[in-house]
Amino acid sequence: MNVEVKTYRKGEIPGIIAIDGQNCRGCDACKRYCPTGAITGMFGATHRIDRDRCISCGQCLINCPFGAPYETVDTVEEVQAKLGDKRYTVAAIIAPAVRVAVGEPFGLPAGSLVTGKMYGAMRKAGFVIVDNNFAADLTIMEEGTEFIQRARHALFGEKAEHGGEIGPLPQFTSCCPAWVRFVETNYPSLIPHLSSAKSPQQMAGAVAKTYGAERIFKVDPEFIYTVGVMPCTAKKFEASRPEFQSACNFVKERGGASPGTPYPDVDTVLTTRDLARLLKRMKIDLAAENNAEGGTLFAEYTGAGTIFGNTGGVMEAALRTAYVVLTGNNLAKLEFEEVRGLRGVKSASIQLRDAKYGKDVTLKVAVVHDIRANIRPIVEDVLAGRSPYHFIEVMNCPGGCINGGGQPICDTGSSWIGRILPSFAWS
Amino acid sequence: MSEKKKPYDYVESPFMLTRREFVIIGGIIIALLAVPVVWLRSALVNRNYYIKARTKGLYQDDVSSKIRMSHENPAIARFYKEFAGHPLSAVSEELLHTTYVNRMNALS
Amino acid sequence: MTDSSFILKHPMQVRVFHFILAVSFLTLAVTGIILFQKPLQEAAMNTVIQIHVVAGVVMTLDALAFLFLAFDRVVMFTKRVFTFSGNDLKWFTVLGGYPQKILLHKKVEVPPMGKYNAGQKLFGIFVLVGGTLLILSGWALWTLPHIIPHGDTSMIGTIHLYVSWILILFLLVHLFLGIYMVDDFKAMFLHGRIPYEDAAEKSPLWVKNDICKIG
Repeated sequence: MNVEVKTYRKGEIPGIIAIDGQNCRGCDACKRYCPTGAITGMFGATHRIDRDRCISCGQCLINCPFGAPYETVDTVEEVQAKLGDKRYTVAAIIAPAVRVAVGEPFGLPAGSLVTGKMYGAMRKAGFVIVDNNFAADLTIMEEGTEFIQRARHALFGEKAEHGGEIGPLPQFTSCCPAWVRFVETNYPSLIPHLSSAKSPQQMAGAVAKTYGAERIFKVDPEFIYTVGVMPCTAKKFEASRPEFQSACNFVKERGGASPGTPYPDVDTVLTTRDLARLLKRMKIDLAAENNAEGGTLFAEYTGAGTIFGNTGGVMEAALRTAYVVLTGNNLAKLEFEEVRGLRGVKSASIQLRDAKYGKDVTLKVAVVHDIRANIRPIVEDVLAGRSPYHFIEVMNCPGGCINGGGQPICDTGSSWIGRILPSFAWS
Repeated sequence: MSEKKKPYDYVESPFMLTRREFVIIGGIIIALLAVPVVWLRSALVNRNYYIKARTKGLYQDDVSSKIRMSHENPAIARFYKEFAGHPLSAVSEELLHTTYVNRMNALS
Repeated sequence: MTDSSFILKHPMQVRVFHFILAVSFLTLAVTGIILFQKPLQEAAMNTVIQIHVVAGVVMTLDALAFLFLAFDRVVMFTKRVFTFSGNDLKWFTVLGGYPQKILLHKKVEVPPMGKYNAGQKLFGIFVLVGGTLLILSGWALWTLPHIIPHGDTSMIGTIHLYVSWILILFLLVHLFLGIYMVDDFKAMFLHGRIPYEDAAEKSPLWVKNDICKIG
């Protein structure tokens, strides 16, 4: 297929998802999951994906009854080759949602938490562990601090410390690569509202190849091969964005060795399904592994980092830290029940006293997931300037990353979290 | 048409079925028709169980963590102490922050 | 008014039901095969599935109307097709005498049958069970493919496919024999009656047990 694509820059993978016309029955189920209307082809005819509109979220892939959509990028063999190459330190950046799903392909019940077994299996395969939960904690530090700065700027007129520009409220989270691409292709005027913080995956890659190379692994960053292990197909696209070579530039600026070709922060991405396939190829049975420790500094994470995989998790983690930073007091109860659960849009108001300014504020936050169904009214409100919220978490997939497009496909379930209404497909 | 002009002389006896047989066979038909409907209902109601199970798994990981707030992670503290300084520092901005591109114009 | 007397074999509601069923099922079979093979371009495939859907809705309404308006006929039919005896097995050993009659022009001894012969009973069971499965699975595939767990949708699709193949194969035989026996064809599509003597020959048990004179 050599159709020209317009919404991709040079070097980016132009769309991760394609449809196999042999298997497609034209039933239109996928269209009801697609957040951007990227699936074309009339009812009854073979469907196709408009890659310019596609945000690579993979919801069609995990929900097609006939298994027609597939991933165009598969680097399992490449990773296996790198694992066998002794020159390379292969660092696995493991997302939170992987540890509750990777057991499923090995026969464990849905939702089994297998962090220890997963560490064991992956270290046996030759990976060093860079838990993405560590990077999630880092994201909270950066994104939370950015939010506090934006909030104090908007509410109290605080100026930036270094005279830089401060973005407007509400601040949107930027962890979800499908959501970021959704903004870039559909609502570019929202870009200033997006947190400038990178997603945890990209932070982990950049940190592993700079600080990690220098202090933890003590190897040349060129010989660190970072593998994102993600519940997500869009992460494959994200890793290919050309700006994500910051570690390479950082090392070069500080007089490090200049590589022949610049290396990306994250070299390749495996989905949870890919990881299960890789382990099976290497004859490693994750279910039979013993619990193991992560073994590196980057495997230390907190409860706030791990809930990133659930819808509302980023918000909850950010609120825990922001509350303490803003008020100087500890939280009586860490759980923010209002932002949990499968309702399409969840909102919460948090009353607190900003210790620095001695003023009471009510923070209004919202959590949106399943953007196909829920995002447009929220976005329209923000664009019209009537949004009551200060901070909005957005995740593309229903339920958050735990139901991402790269997760093991659960045949006895469905991602449909809306009401049970029949649809009468016609044209 | 009047009764007399009917073009046939015989019909099926309505007594082919006893009342008892009618009720039993009719009941079986209705019951069998209900089976797929009941099955479908339960499949639809339980369709999100795996999403809920995975969600529960992560919250369980949170509860069982010794530290549950990001800023208390000692590894993060060490990273800032040894490397980045503080959030939004120059190093942070270079390594941990990014920019976005407008891709909409390309579409229209 | 005539020398020979007639039996009303197919009452009005049965004939109407059967007519709509025949038209809609034939349409569904043809469009279904096209949907399976996918030989046409996009817009044409869309038209084909639209016809398939409309014919399916018509067939469903037809079945529902018959179920509610003529529940006694449904129960009677069910009882008949599910009642077997040793005669049915014997019937299958000579295949009702049809091949001999059609191919060799020979007449063989056929065990006495009721209203439906053993082959028709088998067909009846498949139509009753298979038709119900096709209607239910068709509706599920049309209106709920996004909500039903995908493994189950895929299974429903497989059921829809295989049941329809079986019914189409049966239908070919049914069409041939139905047209071959012109009197029965006329009875089902036109007036509903057949001559007493014919019935006594083909369905002796039915004429003996289930028939009564009117008036």
